[in-house]
Amino acid sequence: MPMMFLDRMPLPRMKTYTMLSLMLLASAVFHAHQVTVQVLEEPESVFDSDRKNASNVTDSVEFQPSNTTDSVITFLGVMVDDPWCIWTLINMAYCCLILLGKGIQRLVFGDLRVSEQQHIKDKFWNFVFYKFIFVFGVMNVQYMNEMVLWCAWFSVLGFLHILVQLGKDRFEYLSFSPSTPRWTHIRMLSLLASILLTSLALLTLCTLVGLHAGLNTFAFMAAECVLLTVRTLYVIVRYSIHLWDFNKKGVWENRGSYMYYTELVFELAALSVDFCHHLHMLLWGNIFLSMASLVICMQLRYLFHEMQRRVKKHKNYLRVVHHMEANYPMASYDVIDSNIDDCAICWDKMEAARVLPCNHMFHNSCLRSWLEQDTSCPTCRTSLSDSRSSSSSQAEELTETVPDTPEATTPNRQQRNHFFHFDGSRYMPWLPSFSVEVTHTQLLGAEPQLQQSIQTSQLDSMARQVQSMFPHMPINVIMDDLRVTRSVEITIENILDERLLPAPSAQLSRTGSQPSETLSTQVSTSSSTDDSMIFYAGGDIADGAFLDNDEVLHSSLPDTNSAENVLESFGSRFSKCPTEREVILQKRKESLVQQARKKYMAKRHRQSNSGSECCQQGELQSTGSSSSSNQHMGEGDCESRRRNTLEQRRSAMYLAARQRLESQNGLS
Amino acid sequence: MAGSALKRLMAEYKQLTLNPPEGIIAGPIDEENFFQWEALITGPEDTCFEGGVFPAQLTFPHDYPLSPPKMKFNCEMFHPNIYPDGRVCISILHAPGDDPMGYESSAERWSPVQSVEKILLSVVSMLAEPNDESAANVDAAKVWREDRDGFNKLAEKLVRKSLGLPQ
Ligand SMILES: [Zn+2]
Ligand SMILES: [Zn+2]
Repeated sequence: MPMMFLDRMPLPRMKTYTMLSLMLLASAVFHAHQVTVQVLEEPESVFDSDRKNASNVTDSVEFQPSNTTDSVITFLGVMVDDPWCIWTLINMAYCCLILLGKGIQRLVFGDLRVSEQQHIKDKFWNFVFYKFIFVFGVMNVQYMNEMVLWCAWFSVLGFLHILVQLGKDRFEYLSFSPSTPRWTHIRMLSLLASILLTSLALLTLCTLVGLHAGLNTFAFMAAECVLLTVRTLYVIVRYSIHLWDFNKKGVWENRGSYMYYTELVFELAALSVDFCHHLHMLLWGNIFLSMASLVICMQLRYLFHEMQRRVKKHKNYLRVVHHMEANYPMASYDVIDSNIDDCAICWDKMEAARVLPCNHMFHNSCLRSWLEQDTSCPTCRTSLSDSRSSSSSQAEELTETVPDTPEATTPNRQQRNHFFHFDGSRYMPWLPSFSVEVTHTQLLGAEPQLQQSIQTSQLDSMARQVQSMFPHMPINVIMDDLRVTRSVEITIENILDERLLPAPSAQLSRTGSQPSETLSTQVSTSSSTDDSMIFYAGGDIADGAFLDNDEVLHSSLPDTNSAENVLESFGSRFSKCPTEREVILQKRKESLVQQARKKYMAKRHRQSNSGSECCQQGELQSTGSSSSSNQHMGEGDCESRRRNTLEQRRSAMYLAARQRLESQNGLS
Repeated sequence: MAGSALKRLMAEYKQLTLNPPEGIIAGPIDEENFFQWEALITGPEDTCFEGGVFPAQLTFPHDYPLSPPKMKFNCEMFHPNIYPDGRVCISILHAPGDDPMGYESSAERWSPVQSVEKILLSVVSMLAEPNDESAANVDAAKVWREDRDGFNKLAEKLVRKSLGLPQ
């Protein structure tokens, strides 16, 4: 029920609520004023009874029997004393709080995302539930004003808690995006800072109240305050680390451990404060064997488990760190200098690194976070646990079945779905030994020879490394050479000495661009004769239409080269502006689909009439025309007008083409 | 965690843009959320999926690349290693810890040295050569094994559909 009520709280209702509250307040003020006037006229009757309640105010204010002060005091006394007036005031306070929340939301967060709404809803009801238990179950509040005070206190705290939760959610969301405006960060951080200040102020207030009301009340009040402070601080620190890291070029070697320890400290602090708070409630309240104690016990159990889990995780962390420091030395500067590789985990430059027994290097923090969840080398999968002896003995056993040269292992591989064992140390001392259950994971388009070869991620990464230096070399050639040399350095030397040449039929080579084919031939398409239609047809099909013209279909046959040019012209740059990147990506996708359609149509056509000689002529024409279609997108009014007429003709042809295609399909 | 994942994803996006593998395009649709990508995969040549352009969605975890992304085809697919709802089931997408199928050795599972590009290339080769031993779609595996022609026809249909061509 209350959930549904909260669901239906859009702005118009908020407006009416505010209006209502204001009206109520106005009437209450009016009522109080009436009473005040009455009281001042006959001071003896009502004023005395009010004095008791108003005494706080009168004590603090220097009492002067002037007329205005007198009336203000009486007025306040009436406002506080009259049950109707006080409820209106409380209502008004809540209204203000909600309005404040709305304002902050508008100013800092904008529209809330669905998950954020869900989170604050959960948080809100959770908070209300536990505080209800606390006020009525634990404190066993009897008096009205006591209850109102507690409610006010928890309302403010709950409000701040929700804001912090919102800030945390939003921060996590913002950290998904590389292009958040600086202004958003500033607003978020200033909100968090003001929450922190408020919570510190509230903490001082607790202390003041605690001096009067005793230690227990202070502890109860302060617990929630401290929790709030800890959570806010946590978000702020994480936020700052994130911003600092993201605006910093290169790697921040210690980032991982900073992150880890802030997380650990803050989480443990929050958990232990919460735990103590609940324990305190349980022991103080004398509420064993009641509903409240049950709820608190459940919560205690949960908190305890959380703490245990955290500590366990930390032990694991320490173990990993210790293991790393003991077994994997930091690489010397010479090694790092000679190593051109980036860290395989974060793809960042290596300035300091740890070396695994298999000679693979990673950043300290990258390696640590990987080892927390796995115990093998990310690159070559060598097991890094202490059971190295057993794995090496296994490898020895297997060497008998593995022939000496790597090439000779191919027969083994041809029987699929069999275990394949590879003892790398026979070839190079640092190569790993491992066993692979072979399934079909060949790279597409690779030569058959490659498909049969050893497929380790290591070879692959080595090849990639070489290819990044020599983009003109097809990867399969590099792979072949690597399989023989087993060393990146030797292969690089081979390439440099031109012992290794890019094979002419290299299929995976992606860099063969032919810039000479970027003709702009669409100039002559403004006339509507049939001849010119042939001319621009290549580009036309690229827009997804089907054409009924025989020559047109021919002409669209083999122009993949030019279409590739289109792709490359988009792909050859990586814009700094996120929106431009999005646009380019979209265009690339469109052109890929168009190209695929074209190809598909061509294939269909080839299948349906395979003996075609006029094909070649069309080929020549099309290579030029199709490449122009995408590269001259939107080049002015003239162009767009032409396109409009094209559009009309195209749709007519589309229908005809569809019919034709269907009949073709029927034939083939 | 998200910071380092973001950096790595940015690097991969850049690499995939500047040096794209043939027939593959991938990148975040909306850069407000860099952890949600869309990829277009062209069906490999000389297979039944030849020529089709299949859109798929990649969802990255916060601790990427320590954990693998999830991949799901956004179009209708009929393939032994693709669940009927589009989720892709290949070993490279499985974290070393979990093994829903129980068939894979950890060597071909996810590791941080894998990348979006390698995943997509593996998916392309999966399209070329379904592995019907650990089938995610039992029906597809059955058709693939027993009625290859029927499978090819269904695939052809999907290819046409993916290109927006009439059936
Ligand atoms: Zn690293
Ligand atoms: Zn290694």
